[in-house]
Amino acid sequence: MARVELKQVSKSFGSTDVIRDVSLSIEEGEFAVFVGPSGCGKSTLLRMIAGLEETSEGEIFIGGDDVTDEEPADRGVSMVFQSYALYPHMTVADNMSFGLRMAHRPKAEIKDKVERAAKILQLEEYLQRKPAQLSGGQRQRVAIGRAIVRDPKVFLFDEPLSNLDAELRVQMRVELAKLHRVLGNTMIYVTHDQTEALTMADRIVVLRSGRIEQIGTPGSLYQDPDNAFVAGFIGSPRMNFLTATALAGGRLAVGGREMDSPAQATLEPGRKLQLGLRPEHLDQNEGIDLEATVEFVEAMGSTSYVHATLATGETIIAERRSSQPRTGDKIILHFAPASARLFGDDGERFR
Amino acid sequence: MSGAGKRQRLALRIAAVPMGLLALSCLYPIFFAINNAFKTRDDYMRDRFGLATQPTFDNFVQAWSRAHLNEYFLNSVIATLGAVILLMVVSSMAGFALASLRFPYRRFLFAVILSSLMIPVQVVLVPFMRTMLALNLVNTHIGLILSYTAFFLPFSVYMMTAFYSGLPRELIEAARIDGAKLLQVWWHVMLPLGMPALVTLAILNTLSCWNDILISLLVMQKHRTLMVGISALKGQYSDQIPLFTSGIVIAAAPIVVLYILFQRRIVSGIAVGAVKG
Repeated sequence: MARVELKQVSKSFGSTDVIRDVSLSIEEGEFAVFVGPSGCGKSTLLRMIAGLEETSEGEIFIGGDDVTDEEPADRGVSMVFQSYALYPHMTVADNMSFGLRMAHRPKAEIKDKVERAAKILQLEEYLQRKPAQLSGGQRQRVAIGRAIVRDPKVFLFDEPLSNLDAELRVQMRVELAKLHRVLGNTMIYVTHDQTEALTMADRIVVLRSGRIEQIGTPGSLYQDPDNAFVAGFIGSPRMNFLTATALAGGRLAVGGREMDSPAQATLEPGRKLQLGLRPEHLDQNEGIDLEATVEFVEAMGSTSYVHATLATGETIIAERRSSQPRTGDKIILHFAPASARLFGDDGERFR
Repeated sequence: MSGAGKRQRLALRIAAVPMGLLALSCLYPIFFAINNAFKTRDDYMRDRFGLATQPTFDNFVQAWSRAHLNEYFLNSVIATLGAVILLMVVSSMAGFALASLRFPYRRFLFAVILSSLMIPVQVVLVPFMRTMLALNLVNTHIGLILSYTAFFLPFSVYMMTAFYSGLPRELIEAARIDGAKLLQVWWHVMLPLGMPALVTLAILNTLSCWNDILISLLVMQKHRTLMVGISALKGQYSDQIPLFTSGIVIAAAPIVVLYILFQRRIVSGIAVGAVKG
């Protein structure tokens, strides 16, 4: 177990800056998830922690030691790759023991550790098989097993579930969360899937264009996003953003209605703003009402998502738990002003 | 439907005639060599093209001992085996480095290796010979092994680089995280994974080394290799065709055996790198 600390870390490939001045600390035993759209630098940041990419500027500490210029093997990290990266010519047992063999550990210890990891991951009966003879989920478990046997200070996961089918992904998500509880190691997990981030993380780090947008618990990112990017990225379906205009006396004009601003900040009248509304907050019986025409209904079983157009021409997605309108219906969407989040037109949040 | 089928069958039959002739033109010389290798001198004089009436192994025994083919055979085996092993090791290491490692002038180096593929052996013979003389490598087995390695290396490196470029980088990264040093990554991961390509290379290089005359004629002036020896047989024993053909059979046998053993590997090896597994 170890704390991971990044101090003003930057990375550039030629003239392209991929990671810009990132400072971050991940506590001992924490499950941190790096999330962001593709190309945001989340995998690069993970690979820098692993030592697979050189750090252009800044320092990386693992367990208090400066590992910025250390070899990957000397950092006390294990990594699980998206493609599993199992050695195809070795058996499961040999794959899992490779790191220990490289470290010249005694045979008895290797056997013991491999067997223990195989037991945790239910791989005991597959130890003599080659990776090609395993299913996707089993291969993923072998890759995790290979990481476990080295008893690392920090586990690094680079989109480990994205090659699995939907059902298996949910199952492995639960297993990984359990594994974290059992092992208690510090884990850093990279994904582009915000559902994975919300369900697994102790803390989420949202990245965009090589910068940290926000760090926080899943709940705080969802409830209290720092900017429109985080608000839009976290949550599915994503938050609706309606054009709003500031009026005198802390009031707002939105969708042809007037309402009290959900933010304390004073805004000069006439200022263009965005009002963020989550789909589930549009299923109220009272509050501000918006008239909308239903374009399309996504029935999800227990709930449905209504894609609709407002009188202003803006599209909006609303959740409907009880009633299910049909395409072409006129409906009234109610929301409580307090549930709305207010952002500037540059995406900055007003509280 | 049946009309189309009939027409197709007819087309196949017509195509079979030139194909058959082509096959015959390839197979007949082989038959001629084997058949005459078993004939006595008189037998051959009486009927050059007929089957051997009194098959004998005498020609093989004579060629092997009297014409020193035993000695030449050993020279060829040493040179071929040495060169092929060296070629496999060096091309696998170079291919790994060029495909997977990042170092300055990597592309330039690869371009130089590629361009050396386009230079015929004959063009560099004079500087090659001078180098060999200066290094005292003429008339040594080591000299011949190094010469073969040098001449056949560019293609081998090119092929291994292409093969290794198709392997996921993550395998190397995983091994590095697992604590393997560069040489260990090569030994434990790249070498075993490169086996399909390396086996193909071994076979192709064996053919090239075994059948070479030009380089060994230059480097091994005192001790002949088998192919040089066979060429010399033609001049020395021009009136003894059965002896000469038995020499040819002895020279071709190892390659034929190799081909039979690795037939499947050779065919699949040709497609190596063409389709990603």
